[in-house]
Order: sequence, then C-alpha cells, then structure tokens
Amino acid sequence: MVYIIPAVFIAVFGFAIFKKVKIYDEFSAGVKEAVQFTLSLIPCLAAIFMMCEVFEASGLSDALTKLLSPVFGFLGIPPELTKLVLIKPFSGSGSIAYLNEIIAKYGADSYITRCACVCFGSSETVFYISAVYFAKTKTKKLFIPIAAVLIGTLVSTIVACLLCKVM
Amino acid sequence: MNAIFTTVFLASLLVITIVAPDKLLSTLLGGGEKTATTALTLFCIYAVWMGLSRLAEKSGFSRVAAKGLKPLSRRLFKTENEGALENIAMNLSCNLLGIGGAATPYAVKAIGELEKDKNEFAQKLLFVINATSVQLIPSTVIALRTAAGSKAAFDIFLPSLVCTVISTVVAVLIFVGAHKINCKRKKRA
Repeated sequence: MVYIIPAVFIAVFGFAIFKKVKIYDEFSAGVKEAVQFTLSLIPCLAAIFMMCEVFEASGLSDALTKLLSPVFGFLGIPPELTKLVLIKPFSGSGSIAYLNEIIAKYGADSYITRCACVCFGSSETVFYISAVYFAKTKTKKLFIPIAAVLIGTLVSTIVACLLCKVM
Repeated sequence: MNAIFTTVFLASLLVITIVAPDKLLSTLLGGGEKTATTALTLFCIYAVWMGLSRLAEKSGFSRVAAKGLKPLSRRLFKTENEGALENIAMNLSCNLLGIGGAATPYAVKAIGELEKDKNEFAQKLLFVINATSVQLIPSTVIALRTAAGSKAAFDIFLPSLVCTVISTVVAVLIFVGAHKINCKRKKRA
C-alpha cells in the first residue's frame, strides 16, 4: 500500500518526460491553480466553521446528542458513538479528536472502538464537502443531495454496528 | 445550504445569548482561526496534487488513465462533456486508491465543467458519491489504531468496505429517485 503514492508520482513524471512536457513550468502552473482554488474556498469555509463553532459552544450539539442517544440506541448504535456520528458531517478535525478520545478510553481493540473506526472510515464531512464543491457554482437547492448523503451515512452506521459484532 | 446555515446559526445564537453571551465573539473568532489554519493545510495538499494533476493533464496521462472509467461515468452522469468525464474518472480513481487529497481538485474541476452545461444533476451526483466516501482502504483509522497498540488494526477492513459501499449506494438511490420524482412532477405541471 505504501507504494501507491510513489508509483503514481513516478508514472506521471515518467509520462510527462516521455511527452516532452515542461515539467517545472507546468507543475508551478498547477500550484498557481491551487492558490486560486484555496482562496476561493475561504469565504465558504469561514461561514461553515463559524456555524459549527457556535453550534458546539452553545451546547446545542450536546443537547442534541442527549436527545438522539435513545433513538440511536433503538437503531442499534451504542450511545458512546452518538456524538461521533453527529459531529462527523460537520467537522473532520473535531471528529478525529473525538475518535482519538474513544480509542484512548475504550482501548484499540474494543467493540466500541472498532465500531467508531468503521463509522469514521465510511463517512465524510458532508457540509464541508458541499461548501468546497459548490463554492464557485450557481447550483442551488442542495437539500435533497445533502439529505440523501446523511441518510446513506446513517444506514451504513447502523450496518457498521451490526457488522462489528459478528466480524 | 442557506436554509441549513440560517437555522443552525440562528438557533445556536439564541441559545448562546441566554447561556453564555460573553463567549459569542471569542467562539466566532475561533471559527475564523480554524478557517485560516484549515485553508493553509488545504493549500499544502492542493499544491502537491494540483501540481501533479496539471502534469498528468498536459502530458495526456489523465486521458489515458481515465479511459477505463469513462464509459461508466458517461452512463451514470448523463453527460457528453469530455472534459468533465475525464475529471470525473480521475476523481473516482483517486478515491478508490485512497488519495482523497488528489480526488478533490478533480471533482471541483469536473463540477466547473458541468457548470458550463448547467448540468446540475451530474454536479449533485458527483457530490453525493464523494460525500459518502468511496475509499477502499481506510488508511487514517488503521494508522490511528496501530498507533494505539491494536493487535489487529486491519480487521475493520471488511466491515468498512461493506459500509462505504452501502452508504454510497443508498445515498445515490435516494438522490436519483428524488430526482426522477421531481422530473415527473415538472412534466405534469
């Protein structure tokens, strides 16, 4: 697995040399695109991050966690995971911090940790991705796509908690 | 996004005004700080991958590499835009290889191409697929568990694979289903 990234680099560089592309010029032109791209993301990122921070600081996210724990429990999701499942769509760094807490608290090979890892690995930071992808477009009405993603993630979380019991 | 943002922000705002009004400004500034650090981290990732992807694009490497996934993407995304198809194919291959950092710039480029055709369906479908995670090897969590002293860090590989497939399939089905219902409604009206 460790060879995937070096192999990709060697293949692309080799191909570019073979095709006589001006490698330094084109590589820096690509970085220039990265500069513009990163700058174009900042407004949306700022809005989303401020929303997430206030949501967390106001205690609403904790309240929601407590409220939804029984519901999640009914679906077979252990209460220890409620917060992780709720945070993941909003914040990548927040959920990774929380995942680390879970690993430290319950041990690397416990049922809770394995569940948490599967949930974490099979989901994404939905709101952040929607901000990045649609930063420069006029496309509106993202409610249905976002709802579809969240439902899909919830279903896979329920399956994850089942699978970790038997596998 | 506007509705979600307003609802979550306003509700949090009201609660924090009652519970801890003095913390509001510092919280918002904290969000700003997180934006700055995240933007820097992202730039590092994109600088590497967009530099490389430009080489791949200019040398024709992506055209060759994308060939296999192109027919599938064409049917799935219902577009004839060659540039968009190439970027979609590259996005999917990077995701499957587990190089998420390289996948995002391709997705954004594909969405930019699709914007020219006003193909909102394909844009949203690409978002749904990416936002439900399509990676084959959950490298981050395996690394975290190994670091924590796990004896079998790889044992979550199979459940992860099953779950990532389930989440993507369910989300795509819901999205496409909702899209079809919407289209029918529009035809009637």
